[in-house]
Amino acid sequence: MERTDDLISLGMRIANDDQLAYRQLFILFYNKLSRFVMGFTKSKELTEEIVSDVFINIWRRRKKMEEINNLKLYLYVSAKNITFNYLKKLHRENLTDLDSVEIEPEDPFADPGAALITREMNLKLKSAINDLPPRCKLIFTLIKEDGLTYKQAATLLDVSISTVENQLSIALKKISRAIRYTFRHN
Amino acid sequence: MPGQNNSSQDQFWTLLSKKLSKEASAEELQELQSILLNNPDLHHHANMLTEMWQQGSINKGIGSEAAYMRHIMKHKDELFLEEDPIKINIDGSVSETDAGFLRAFFSRKKSLVYSFIGLIITTGVIYLFTQNRGAKLPPQQALSSVVTKNGNRTKIVLPDGSQVWLNAGSNLDYNNSTFNKDLREVSLNGEAYFDVTKNPDKPFIIHTKKMDIKVLGTVFNVRSYSNEKIAEAALIKGSIEVTLKDRKDQKIVLKPNEKISIANEEPRAEPKQNKIIPANTSHIPQIVVKELKPNPTYNIIGEIAWTQNKLYFEDETLEDIALRLERWFGKKVTIANESLKNVHYRGNYESETIEDVLSSLKLSKSFNFRIANDTIVIY
Repeated sequence: MERTDDLISLGMRIANDDQLAYRQLFILFYNKLSRFVMGFTKSKELTEEIVSDVFINIWRRRKKMEEINNLKLYLYVSAKNITFNYLKKLHRENLTDLDSVEIEPEDPFADPGAALITREMNLKLKSAINDLPPRCKLIFTLIKEDGLTYKQAATLLDVSISTVENQLSIALKKISRAIRYTFRHN
Repeated sequence: MPGQNNSSQDQFWTLLSKKLSKEASAEELQELQSILLNNPDLHHHANMLTEMWQQGSINKGIGSEAAYMRHIMKHKDELFLEEDPIKINIDGSVSETDAGFLRAFFSRKKSLVYSFIGLIITTGVIYLFTQNRGAKLPPQQALSSVVTKNGNRTKIVLPDGSQVWLNAGSNLDYNNSTFNKDLREVSLNGEAYFDVTKNPDKPFIIHTKKMDIKVLGTVFNVRSYSNEKIAEAALIKGSIEVTLKDRKDQKIVLKPNEKISIANEEPRAEPKQNKIIPANTSHIPQIVVKELKPNPTYNIIGEIAWTQNKLYFEDETLEDIALRLERWFGKKVTIANESLKNVHYRGNYESETIEDVLSSLKLSKSFNFRIANDTIVIY
């Protein structure tokens, strides 16, 4: 996951017109932001347009980079705001509801062999994650995959920190239930 | 589970998730420990979830490099791409252009400006000398130069409306004042895809190291990097006439879907089904005219694959591929193992990262590679 001081130095370089740093920032966050936005828009073209807007704004406002405390959160919040604006314009405000979000998490185990996980268990895990309720899955993905803190996720989604705690707890419980079931069958 | 306190169960999940997200306080960690002590059956879950969490996701990074290219092309007037040529006079002064980007690009990097200009001037002088042999280029005019850096591609529109897409690591020079007078002349080092506006009265001539290409109005691709072994011109539409610098008497006319390849240095053996023009002496480079074929597996014509953001190797040595990768991704690629340099590979890539490309290539014939920041070593 990106380190905070790395992001700070990237930000400073971008403020100094460093395009290589700008490109690095783009590559670092493009996929994660796209996945996040896609969960709302469900459209590849719209998602790409939105993420491009997020980044061109960064470039346009690069001189004010020092005013941004948390670049990572800033990117996500910017992505969300731009997404919601587009959806509003398209009269699809229903899609801004967290319960209609459809986010696609990565495969749970990058290296199943290392944890002595059988293929069957891995598949069960994957489908357990996919079956999580939308809001729960979104929070799980943001925390586990995107590395947001509880506070960042709460700010981003405009929910309380205890909501984030609860949802994550529910996620782990549901996921492990899938494994327990598999275990029994062995 | 029988005999278990439900709220202690729930507490377990809350604490475990806090621990995994690094949000747990010292007390919470201790609490978690004691729950585990009292409930050994929970160990398995804790371990498995911890493993899953720590392994992290497979950060494919798929498509982000290509997406970045699309992003900068979309906003090219705001981002820096060298779209407007830099006007440099023979005496070394830089003309005022209205390209605002120039100021933004150079404002903080004064030393870079001077070395950059120095480079262009050298190239400009070389081109002028080459062209002065028989050509009518007037000496005191401004030379325009468009340069791409590795990792970037750019498109420019020439004064006559012709469009040129420059591939990474290329430069195109032309004389801005005389360009559309009697002739339309440019010099190219690198690779470019031309869409030339039709004008039979003003021939369009491209000078490269090994060939001069004369066109009337067509669509074609020219590839002539000084550090590559073969120079090529491929015709898509119309007709072009190629004059070889080493054999001025012989003019070769290409028809659509033909391409000409010229060895930059030593002659290289070519397959027999192509027309081979025999050399008169052993120093004249070997030339081959081939038919362009879309590759049936990939459905693209190799020579113009790069204008569609596809990276395509038909049958290239790893050494050549490494060069292509350097230009495409803007990273340094070196081959430490000499014996790997001449191994041939083929492949077709679109939005993969450089890591994906190398992983895929090594599946056919193995090698290792190591990535550190922006440098890749193949060994």
